Amino acid sequence: MKTSLKRRLTQGLAITLPGLVLAGALTGCATPPPKSDTADYQAYQQLNDPLEPTNRVFFKVNNKLDTYVMKPVAKGYVAITTQGIRNHVGDFASNIGEPARMLNFMAEGHPTDAGSAMVRFLVNSTIGIGGIFDPASAMGYPETDTDFGITLATWGVPPGPYLYLPAFGPSGVRDAMNYPVSWFATPMEAAPASGALTDFGYSETGIHLINTRAAYLQPIDQINATALDPYATFRSLYRQSRASEQKQVEQRDKRTWPNWYHQ
Amino acid sequence: MMFRRFILGAVASAPMLAAMAGAAHAQAMSPDAAKSFITQSGDKLVAIVNGPGSQSQKASQLRDLVNQIVDVDQVGDYVLGRYINVATPAQKQQFQSLFHQLLSYNITYQIKAYQGVSFTVNSAAPQGNNVLVDTTVTAPGKAPADVGWVVQDESGQPKIIDVIVAGTSLRITTRNDYAGVITDNGGQVSALLKAMQGQINKIGNQ
Repeated sequence: MKTSLKRRLTQGLAITLPGLVLAGALTGCATPPPKSDTADYQAYQQLNDPLEPTNRVFFKVNNKLDTYVMKPVAKGYVAITTQGIRNHVGDFASNIGEPARMLNFMAEGHPTDAGSAMVRFLVNSTIGIGGIFDPASAMGYPETDTDFGITLATWGVPPGPYLYLPAFGPSGVRDAMNYPVSWFATPMEAAPASGALTDFGYSETGIHLINTRAAYLQPIDQINATALDPYATFRSLYRQSRASEQKQVEQRDKRTWPNWYHQ
Repeated sequence: MMFRRFILGAVASAPMLAAMAGAAHAQAMSPDAAKSFITQSGDKLVAIVNGPGSQSQKASQLRDLVNQIVDVDQVGDYVLGRYINVATPAQKQQFQSLFHQLLSYNITYQIKAYQGVSFTVNSAAPQGNNVLVDTTVTAPGKAPADVGWVVQDESGQPKIIDVIVAGTSLRITTRNDYAGVITDNGGQVSALLKAMQGQINKIGNQ
């Protein structure tokens, strides 16, 4: 277990370190407008993107990576799979995320949702054949998404400046904390270390990335075709959707019975 | 002294009163009326997208429908945001004209992708003076999408003023998109107009 943790830590660092080093080397700050120009200054504060020049560099890098690698792979993947298969792949990846969701719901003070995440993981991993099917939804335990960024938000941590991360894409100072947490909070972490498990972890991450990219082929093409400033558009969409996710989690009712049980 | 204060107060509040008189035209919308408006408009939209006719015929039919059901001018003013105070009257006029053209292009862009589309109206909830109508849009090969329509009453006529997809507002996103172009070019509205024109030319050449 100890060696497994060490190995995972090394892998995690190996993935994030080049990005961080590159970010440090390229860090450029936007010049804020003078405070005397009230409207401009307020807008600058509201935008909260002091690293915009660096972020835009990574946005360009990711776009190149996407054009030449991710998008063609995702297109090929769509050509050889059906929507049904893609849904099952999505269910599988989502099932692996359930334990992390359970922990986050617990930390957010939503015990019912934490319980639902646990039931979902148990039911889908067994009856749902390792998570390929999602019988838990039909049983009244639909999927509810959350992550460590949302947990921090419910604790009152502000989103912080916008970050566009190499490979990962849009994020923020608060939401970026989610990456190390979700890296460790997987069921694979509890299993004894083995070469096969490592390979499984990489394949799972890879197929999940491609499956997710495939789901966004049309919307991303549309944004790139219609937006005048795609960087600003993605930034706006990211911020709005995070705020909406946070609101949804905060508005969750505290029911302690599943959907099908009528009181 | 009192009188002078009164006069000053009256002068100061006059523009506000005028604005309020203008706002009085916008009445509170009833959720049921908004719901039936969205049902009718959606049916027309689906009929055009799935109906017979060439792409260009469909595009022109859609343009007419959008002008009927969406308050494009108001959305345009919202999208221009605080730069409406910076833009000259000529720039504002040019912006509105370009905005109308780009909106039709963006809608036309969707026709092919949404072939075989269907939709169901779920619920309607008041949002201030407006109503948010919640619908589910389904298209073949795509996961069903929750789409919200913000409907405003304009002197008895219901009009769409915003579309909400997965918690993101179309007019806020567009406003931020356009503001990105303006701030990148030293706060010049002319840069936005140039970019919009460039986009329209690009479409024309395709």
